[in-house]
Amino acid sequence: MRKRKLRLPPYAKSFRFRLYLIFTGTIALLTAAFVTFYVLTELNAYRSNMEREGKLLATVLAQNARLPLFAENREALAILAEGTVRYPSVLTVSIVDREGRLLAQQAKTQAVAGDVIDMQVPISSPSGVLSPESALLGQPQGSEQRVIGEVRLKLDTTGARERLVTLVAASLAIGTLFWILVSLLCYQILKRVTNSFNLLLAGIEKIGSGTLSARVDLDGDDELGRAANAINAMAASLELRELENQALQDELLRAMRLEVQEEKKRVMARLIQTNKMTSLGLLLSSMAHEINNPNASIRFSGHMIGKMLADALPLLDGVWQEEGEFYLGGVPYQKARLVLTENAGKIVENSERIAQVVQGLRDYGVGGGGQLRQRLDINSAVSAALSVLACQMKRDVQLHTSLGTSIPTIAGSQQQIEQVLINLILNAMQSCAGRSGEVHLSTRHEAGKGEVVVEVRDNGAGIAPETMERLFEPFYSTKLELGGSGLGLYISQFIVSEHGGRLQLDSTVGKGTVARVVLPVAPASVVGVLLPAQHGQHPSDPLHQVR
Amino acid sequence: MSLLRLLLLAFFTLLPTLALAYDVLLLQSMHDKGYDEAVRGFKRNYRGSVRRIVLTDYAELDLTRINREEHPKLIVAVGDRALELAQKQHAAPVLYMMALNAKPRRSAGGVTMLLDPGKYLSVLEEMGCERVGVLYDPARSGAYVKRALALAGRSRIKLVLREVHAAKETPAMLASLKGKVDALWMLPDTTAVSPVSTEAYFLFSQAERVPVVTFADVYLSMGGAVALTIDRYDIGRQLAELAQNVLDGNLPEEVGDPPRRVVARTNEGVVRQLKLNTLAGH
Repeated sequence: MRKRKLRLPPYAKSFRFRLYLIFTGTIALLTAAFVTFYVLTELNAYRSNMEREGKLLATVLAQNARLPLFAENREALAILAEGTVRYPSVLTVSIVDREGRLLAQQAKTQAVAGDVIDMQVPISSPSGVLSPESALLGQPQGSEQRVIGEVRLKLDTTGARERLVTLVAASLAIGTLFWILVSLLCYQILKRVTNSFNLLLAGIEKIGSGTLSARVDLDGDDELGRAANAINAMAASLELRELENQALQDELLRAMRLEVQEEKKRVMARLIQTNKMTSLGLLLSSMAHEINNPNASIRFSGHMIGKMLADALPLLDGVWQEEGEFYLGGVPYQKARLVLTENAGKIVENSERIAQVVQGLRDYGVGGGGQLRQRLDINSAVSAALSVLACQMKRDVQLHTSLGTSIPTIAGSQQQIEQVLINLILNAMQSCAGRSGEVHLSTRHEAGKGEVVVEVRDNGAGIAPETMERLFEPFYSTKLELGGSGLGLYISQFIVSEHGGRLQLDSTVGKGTVARVVLPVAPASVVGVLLPAQHGQHPSDPLHQVR
Repeated sequence: MSLLRLLLLAFFTLLPTLALAYDVLLLQSMHDKGYDEAVRGFKRNYRGSVRRIVLTDYAELDLTRINREEHPKLIVAVGDRALELAQKQHAAPVLYMMALNAKPRRSAGGVTMLLDPGKYLSVLEEMGCERVGVLYDPARSGAYVKRALALAGRSRIKLVLREVHAAKETPAMLASLKGKVDALWMLPDTTAVSPVSTEAYFLFSQAERVPVVTFADVYLSMGGAVALTIDRYDIGRQLAELAQNVLDGNLPEEVGDPPRRVVARTNEGVVRQLKLNTLAGH
């Protein structure tokens, strides 16, 4: 069966209507109870009065009929009965003697249907009356009465019914009138009382809808007045907060606009920087090409000079032995001989070094071979990076290397690993800008974890915590004005993670920073070729000190 | 010694005889205040020996045996029942008192409970009444009324008589006296005056505004104007004198003596309302 939900009209949900309903209902119940009680009480009283009246009539009749009954005077009894039956409530009157013989009876002509009250009252001899003998003997008067007959009455209760109907009608009319009057009075009182509620509710709804400037216009020191005051205070407070929030929002908006503009500038600077780097890469490639050609010539010339010198030296030695000391370029032969040999070697050596540097620059700029994965010796990558940075080395920064031995190879791109290391070493050196500092570069193998670790430690300025959080964000740099692109660490972390490793940075402001590149050992290389240890100053670093 | 034994034997043998030796056997119908009062009056005046027997103390009293064994010289009957019993024997003379319905036979005298009619007539006369209504049962009070009529004939009082043969006739008879009498004389007649019909007298008195002269104080409270009552104690004393007279050898009169002392009482309220002459000398 479909259940229908009772839908109340809107007014039926109001507090006023419910209160009014409760009040009127209670009053109606009380009125009904009172009317019922009153009618029942009155009816009982009426019936009781009727019985009492009948009893009184019968008693009077019994008293009066005593002598006629004793004398069996039927006429007198009939007259008495007739006098009694004239009473409105008496239907019939009967007088019987002690043996039950009917001596007189009178009845009303009209028959009455319905409830009839039967009343019997005995007719007794008078108490205290003595026989002549007893009176002469002086016997005390007794109280015993001798029944000599009976008066029987039938009382009509029609009057009671009529009275009941009248009473019920009157009571209902009065009760209804009373109920209507009290209900009207209740309505007026409730209207006054709940008006405050409505005002309060309207105010709350208005405030709740967002009009915080609205107020509950309710006077008084009662609970509702206090509630209204509290709500007004709350609304005022909310309004104040709203204004403050608006001001803050405006300020935030302005700040965001400024920040966006700044960010735009920074992005543009980074783009320019990137463009510069790209151009620099191209420049490096062209420079390498331009340098390699004369350098090859120089190296060839050096080789030629060395070969020629090697051939010429025995001849010159013969001359020196034969002819004695002679001078070459104003320098005695023996000393010149050493200088020539040494410089010829230096020409070749430095030329090769130039070639290496140029090759490094070219590899870095062009990125050739970066995608290749190969077995990589981490120490050689470190050396290559240092060779690239040789020209960047500052005189007030000391670079210490401590390369581990028996470090297994890793799988990866040497060029990319070098790029990571160059970034880290450059950052370490730049953190010591403006003062003397030390950079420790070390490699080690953590066999237990199967990892190779490259650690770059400096004692520079350190990294502030707020900067630390954003270190790996792209284009975030604290050295944009010094040419930083904000991509170094971002790219480095990308490369390391591409190699399955991780890049860790620990820093303390004022004490320095430790950067760790942790790379997994190549599976086949765990037992693979072990490289010899390399300790000592890097050839490209004039300040490199061997520990 | 033997003489002493003989004397002792004679003493103890005759002792009960001595104790039972009396002159008057007083038979009382029952224990009653009125009877006791009369007996006290009797004993007050009678100095001889008396044995008192209350009939209600015995289931059945053998008076003949008592007479045979105790030989009382006189039997005094107190009350109707005692008189009836006493008259069944003939060995001793009988005196009676306090017997309203006494029908004394020969050799029985005493004091009746009926005052002398002259007393009533004088009171009625003194009250200024001329026509006096009397209800009576001829069988009970015929003789008394006859005497009253005789006495009334010598005064200015006229007795209006109504005979009542049954108690229920009283109201009707009273009704027949309406407007015919100046006073009602209530006789101690158990037919004319029954407990139920008594109030008829006083209702008549009230309705006809005539006084009721009655025979007992108790009726004054019901509306009686004057009551001439007997003195039970004095009746006892009166009978004691009669008994002494009989024991002295004189035979008792067969007609009972009326009580010699009369006590008159009035209901002042009724007297005042009916504007009667107040009684003097009573």
